[in-house]
Amino acid sequence: MSELVRLSDTTKVYQGGMTGALNGVSLTVEEGEFTAVMGPSGSGKSTLLNLIAGLDRPTSGGVTVGGSDLGRMGEAALARFRRDHIGFVFQFFHLLPNLTVLENVLIPAQLRSRTSAEARGRELLEQLGIAEVANRYPAKLSGGQQQRVAIARALINQPSLLLADEPTGALDTRSGDQVMELLMALHRQGQTILLVTHDAKLATRYAARVISVLDGKIVDDARLETAERAAADVIRVRGEEARP
Amino acid sequence: MIAIVVKALADLRRRRVQAAVIFLTVFFSMVAGTMAVTLMSQTRDPYQAAFDKQRGAHLQVSYSATTDPQLLAKTPATIGSSSFGGPYLVTNIQFKFGDRKFFVDAIGRDNPGGPVEVLNVTSGRWARAGDEIVLTRSFAELNKVSVGDRLKIVSVAQTPTLTVVGEVVDIDEGSADLSSQHAWVVAAAAPALSTPDSTYYLMDYRFTGDPTSAQLQGSIDRLRESLPPGSIGGSLNYILVRSIFNITNQILTGVLGAFSVFALAATIAIVATLVTGIVISAYREIGIMKAIGFMPSQVVAVFALQIIIPALVACVMGIPVGTLVSQPLLANSSHALGLAYEPTFSIGLDLLLLASGLVVVAVAATLPALRAGLLKPIAAISKASAPRGTGGRRLRSAAARARLPRAVVLGIGDAFARPLRAALTLVTVLLGVATVVVAIGLPRSFLLINNSETGAGNYQVVVNRSSAYADADVMRILSTQPETARVVAVGGQNVTVPGVGAPVGTRLFRGDSSRLGYMVIVGRWYSAPGEVLAPAALLHDAHLKIGDSFTGTANGQTLQLRVVGEVYDINNLGHSLFMDIATMGSVTPAVEPYEYDVTLAPGADVSGYLRRVAALEPDLLDVHASDTSIITPVKIIDLVLLIIAAVLALIGVGGIFNTLLLNTRERIQDTATLKALGMSPRQVMLMVAAAAGLLALVGGLIAMPLGLSLHHLLNDVISSSAGNDTPPAAYGVFNPLELVLIPLLGVVVAVAAALIPGRWAARTNVVEVLHSE
Repeated sequence: MSELVRLSDTTKVYQGGMTGALNGVSLTVEEGEFTAVMGPSGSGKSTLLNLIAGLDRPTSGGVTVGGSDLGRMGEAALARFRRDHIGFVFQFFHLLPNLTVLENVLIPAQLRSRTSAEARGRELLEQLGIAEVANRYPAKLSGGQQQRVAIARALINQPSLLLADEPTGALDTRSGDQVMELLMALHRQGQTILLVTHDAKLATRYAARVISVLDGKIVDDARLETAERAAADVIRVRGEEARP
Repeated sequence: MIAIVVKALADLRRRRVQAAVIFLTVFFSMVAGTMAVTLMSQTRDPYQAAFDKQRGAHLQVSYSATTDPQLLAKTPATIGSSSFGGPYLVTNIQFKFGDRKFFVDAIGRDNPGGPVEVLNVTSGRWARAGDEIVLTRSFAELNKVSVGDRLKIVSVAQTPTLTVVGEVVDIDEGSADLSSQHAWVVAAAAPALSTPDSTYYLMDYRFTGDPTSAQLQGSIDRLRESLPPGSIGGSLNYILVRSIFNITNQILTGVLGAFSVFALAATIAIVATLVTGIVISAYREIGIMKAIGFMPSQVVAVFALQIIIPALVACVMGIPVGTLVSQPLLANSSHALGLAYEPTFSIGLDLLLLASGLVVVAVAATLPALRAGLLKPIAAISKASAPRGTGGRRLRSAAARARLPRAVVLGIGDAFARPLRAALTLVTVLLGVATVVVAIGLPRSFLLINNSETGAGNYQVVVNRSSAYADADVMRILSTQPETARVVAVGGQNVTVPGVGAPVGTRLFRGDSSRLGYMVIVGRWYSAPGEVLAPAALLHDAHLKIGDSFTGTANGQTLQLRVVGEVYDINNLGHSLFMDIATMGSVTPAVEPYEYDVTLAPGADVSGYLRRVAALEPDLLDVHASDTSIITPVKIIDLVLLIIAAVLALIGVGGIFNTLLLNTRERIQDTATLKALGMSPRQVMLMVAAAAGLLALVGGLIAMPLGLSLHHLLNDVISSSAGNDTPPAAYGVFNPLELVLIPLLGVVVAVAAALIPGRWAARTNVVEVLHSE
């Protein structure tokens, strides 16, 4: 496997912030990995995700994805980078309410001027089990369905990296499980996935690698199969019980 | 109350751009409205004041020089006038000043006072000696003649020289650029300046109270019955003169009034759009306000107040500016009337305007703000903002089918996502573009009409002969010039038309007059003696229509005339007759032309021609290039139109800007999502610009027929106020390409206006926006 993401001593300090949201984080993600970034609210996990997605810029240090140094890119280049290499699944779906399901899915392809993406869009909807709602508007869908649409949208440009920010956070347990099963299935097909969650059980159940973040620092990086560490250990480092 | 003001002021600080939009919109509306109201309130009063001060003549009648002055002395009693002046001997003289020659009617009168027509000497003094002359200030200013200048009289063989000793304001005649002018010499000097065919007696009559047009016509009829046939040569009444003085202001006030209503409508649309937008985006805030104890009415007041405060500032600034801007127009009017100009304003009127402006804005703001008052607190808090508009789907689908770039497709959908907002925006665009159409079209119509009246393009040289120089000699000189392609000789003779009190001036042509460029509205140009054309006002007053025959009287001799066409002519507000000079063949003394309109061969050197012909008879011929310049009142109207169009166009741009601002702010989350999905800043700007462009295009397309109809209507109103119907050509002043280009120009302007909200949208911080969800 080759390296897809590299963070080198990356720090992010927000304006007015006394301490960094991320403090000197170094990290690599290999192609084909299903990595979960885990931590409590305010730990810096979403900041980490935003930096990797090119939505935000580090205060210091570097972020490289697929060999591209995001720090050197302008706004337009970052936009191109996102639509060509990144698929984004948000906690609150962020579907465009005035577009149909299919139109939502096709948007990233159309922004890339790919007009022949409809077949792939329908195929994705089929794979995700929501083909029958292709012509509906998001407001008519359940939360689970909306998140599936968001996943389809994230996959339309066949991204090298799929970023999922609390993808089950706004869903009930059943829908959340279904969404995670879908992500798992995608991972089995070779999709690199970086999942941000505060749910340790979810992380350890699906991800092969769990990175724990606390106060802007990586406090643990566990490859569950290779390191043969119990899920319980991972849970311990992020929970109250892990603190002295 | 304090809480409401504190909250409203805090909101204002946060919404500075919207406050600026409201300020500018209301400011411009108030400037236009104040100008209209100020001019309207002043239109009649200055003339009336000057007329009363001058003890102006309600009726001036010219009588043939052969009429017995003893009979004329009895005429005031015949018509029951309360005071009179005259009979004065008047003669039409031609004088030379510098290189130019001028005609004026010199009145023999020994002093400017008396019971009627008390002339206001504004410069110098009245004439005391036989070699002195007094001119109207209007004439002196127009032709740059000053007190002390010497004028060589060339209409009589002795060619005496008179010195200008004074300038007066005479409000019983129109301004020099619109009417022929009087001049005054001492009574004893008048006979020496007289020539047989251009001398008459003038009587000035004043009545108790202001007689009506019908009463004045009755007076003329009684005079005609009491005097030998042919005694009355012409007449002029104060109603006509007042109309001529006031026509510019009437048109201006009409135009300003109409467009002020437009500006107000646009303001209402913008205010309603803005308040609706603010309420939609502030659901959570409304919920919190209610949760902490704001009453529904207080919530409404907070939203209304943040519109009323900038509107109040705009009114307070706009009303004085409007008053100031209208002062030059009032000063111009006062100057023409010889009145001392004093800056005029009315506190009462200003307060009324302020109150009206604020009430309109308050109502426009309060109605949409009621929605905020009616919201349930919990629902408002939980929703955070109103559901985003989902209109424009069909448009978006159509755009997608047309395979437009996705950013454009999304922008097109956004434009009509909220149909009410889109409709209100369209109102502002529509009014702006329609006004621009009028502001482009009307000056062109004026120019077209001006060209028809001045022969622009149809003849280049005008020659006027002194009565001492024979018609045949003029024709001989002109016909021997190699560059002369065509000469149309023009004369005049007043004709009495049945049903019309005042004798009607005529234009009598010899030569191919159909090519002088006069605009025939209905019917045709005359082709034989006896056939006449007349403007609408004369046809209306005389109850004539095309094909009717009537018996006219000239110099007491009858003429059989038949109307063959309606012509456009603003002279005497549409009271004139056009015919072949041969029609007057039976009238004695014989009517001869005095003016020669010369068309030169293509490529001829006009100035060389002027110099050569003028040199042949420097004293007896006045040779000058045809004056095709536009008269000052029309220039003023054109300028005001231009300003109004700019104002309404700005308001239209403000409307689009406002809508885009609301749309982009409301859709900031969608924009952030799109950016997260890879939409580039350029694509974001393209999306916003597409929404602006579509709104402007739709508004522009709807506005074109509205603008053309308005142009049509204003042409009719203006032509009608000048006693005419609009010539069809004056309507069709736009070529098809322009009809396409004007809305497209609107699109370009709107897209430019979209740059700011587009840039804001493009700079959306994805992380912040999506994180705040």
